Amino acid sequence: MKLTTYYNRVNIITSIVVLIATGVIYYLFIHLILTNKLDKDLAVEEEEIQQYTRTFQKLPLPASYIDQSVSYRKAPKDSVTVRDFSYTTYFNPKENEEEPGRRLITIVELKGEHILVTITKSRVESEDLVRVILLITLGVTIILLGCLFLINRFVLNRLWQPFYNILKRMKVFEVTSSEHVGIEPTRIDEFNELTQSVNAMAERVRYDYKELKSFTDNASHEMMTPLAVINSKLDSLVQTDVFTEQQGALLEDIYQATGRLSRLHQSLLLLAKIENNLIGDIQAIDLKELVAQKARQFEELLERDGLKLEVILCEKTINMSRYLADILLNNLFSNAVRHNIKGGKIIVELSNVKLVIGNTGKDFETKTKLFDRFSKSNESDGMGLGLAISKQVCNLYGYQIDYEQVKKMHYFSIFFDR
Amino acid sequence: MKILVIEDEQALSESILAYFTGEGNICEHAYDFESALEKIELYAYDCILLDLGLPGGEGLDLLSRLKARNKKDGVLIISARHSLDDRLSGLDLGADDYLVKPFHLSELKARVSAIVRRKNFDGDNLIKFNEITIDVAAMKVTVDDKLVVLTKKEFDLLVYFLSNKGKVVTKNAMAEHLWGDEMDLSDDFDFIYTHMKNLKKKLSEGGAKDYVRSVYGIGYKFADV
Repeated sequence: MKLTTYYNRVNIITSIVVLIATGVIYYLFIHLILTNKLDKDLAVEEEEIQQYTRTFQKLPLPASYIDQSVSYRKAPKDSVTVRDFSYTTYFNPKENEEEPGRRLITIVELKGEHILVTITKSRVESEDLVRVILLITLGVTIILLGCLFLINRFVLNRLWQPFYNILKRMKVFEVTSSEHVGIEPTRIDEFNELTQSVNAMAERVRYDYKELKSFTDNASHEMMTPLAVINSKLDSLVQTDVFTEQQGALLEDIYQATGRLSRLHQSLLLLAKIENNLIGDIQAIDLKELVAQKARQFEELLERDGLKLEVILCEKTINMSRYLADILLNNLFSNAVRHNIKGGKIIVELSNVKLVIGNTGKDFETKTKLFDRFSKSNESDGMGLGLAISKQVCNLYGYQIDYEQVKKMHYFSIFFDR
Repeated sequence: MKILVIEDEQALSESILAYFTGEGNICEHAYDFESALEKIELYAYDCILLDLGLPGGEGLDLLSRLKARNKKDGVLIISARHSLDDRLSGLDLGADDYLVKPFHLSELKARVSAIVRRKNFDGDNLIKFNEITIDVAAMKVTVDDKLVVLTKKEFDLLVYFLSNKGKVVTKNAMAEHLWGDEMDLSDDFDFIYTHMKNLKKKLSEGGAKDYVRSVYGIGYKFADV
């Protein structure tokens, strides 16, 4: 939910609640006050009737004044003190209609007799007054809410514009390019601070990136050079003489160890590079073509182990580094070959959503550490980095890589959309 | 061919020189930026092997100076930097190839030979060895003018051997050449044996002498009998 939307919602709901509550309280108070005033008028009228009765020893005429009527009735003997205000209807003879009214029933003593006096006053005017007040309150409420909405909508949006601009520029920020996040002109202190912090952070990130890159380069250089020397000296050594079988075997072992060492080093550097996202070169890759190419590349290895390859491929293009795509497929294919059994099979299935590579193989306890570095089965002659690299490559592009074992078949699936 | 090796690591440089010398090749070396620059400006080479990190300057700098002088020397970058940026900027600047350390000397020789062949024989890219003739561009092999049909990998192997005549070529180097070093192959390269057997068979059926000798455990050697 957007900040403005959320703010708007809270603001408007609160305003509505407060305004309605105010309206209700306002209405009740006005009502109470007006009723009190009516009651006072009624009491004055009662007073007048009592004075008149005392003075003249007779009841005043039950005349109707405007919006007021008085009537008399003989009261039963035992009812001595009755004084009761209540709501009632008032019949307006002029308009010839019923109106809301307020009534006072009281007792007047006349020559030892109790007379029940009913004074009724119309409430129409006070009701009208209350209604007008209510309408004005409502109107003000609606206007206020409208104003609030408009302010939130236009002013808040404009106020937050610098924030969204900075956000947009942060999204396109790349450590590899030399572009700055830049300054966003605004009078709001918080946003100025944000821009400054973002720029400072970008600088720091870029600096770290450069440091890391140069470290990676240096480490690579310093370790590769001795390896290159060993390799070239070995190549020179084998040219020097005719070797016995025993010497040949020794040399082969040294070659293999050197080869593994340089592959291991390259793999570790590669992992570091992927983790720090130092590999750009993202391009559209025809995955179908690439998988088919890998299948050809592994032909000899499949033949050697008598493996049957079943391939079902759909058209699929993905965006990633060609170099990493190559490495990913290499790792999965060599994994499927390495952990296979003689005369087994490999299934490769590429659809629009996933790539599945399955192979026959021995049963083994499913290890959650399968994708960890240097995690490998005892009989594996690999380095235990292949799957770790595959996982990192998948993480980099937001793919999901899963392993499952179904009836002596081992499946690795890559889902392109998480 | 005339070759200049610009490499600050003396041990490596010596091995390269030793491997390339012979067969009428002239090899020179430079250990730092200044001496390399001097040699580049004074002489012309068929191929320059260029290391990127040099004492006194950047290898890429040498390359751009070379290209600025419109020199036609072939350039092969040998670098420990496995970064794609360096590879691309090297090739952009006009290098002919890029080889990452550590490499096999036989691979280096094959690449250099390919560069020199491309430079020297415009369009007519032929390798001749006694009765065997290879048309690299057309991917055709003839023995005494009779066509021998080879698969892609057998053809690549033959070209590789002829670039390394008289040298022992290891199985590791052959495997990396044919399948690439990123394949993370198992260390068992015996499947190369099948390719070698087929190649030898096809060549001898075509009437060529058996020039290939197996070297215990290590690899093979292609040499005049």
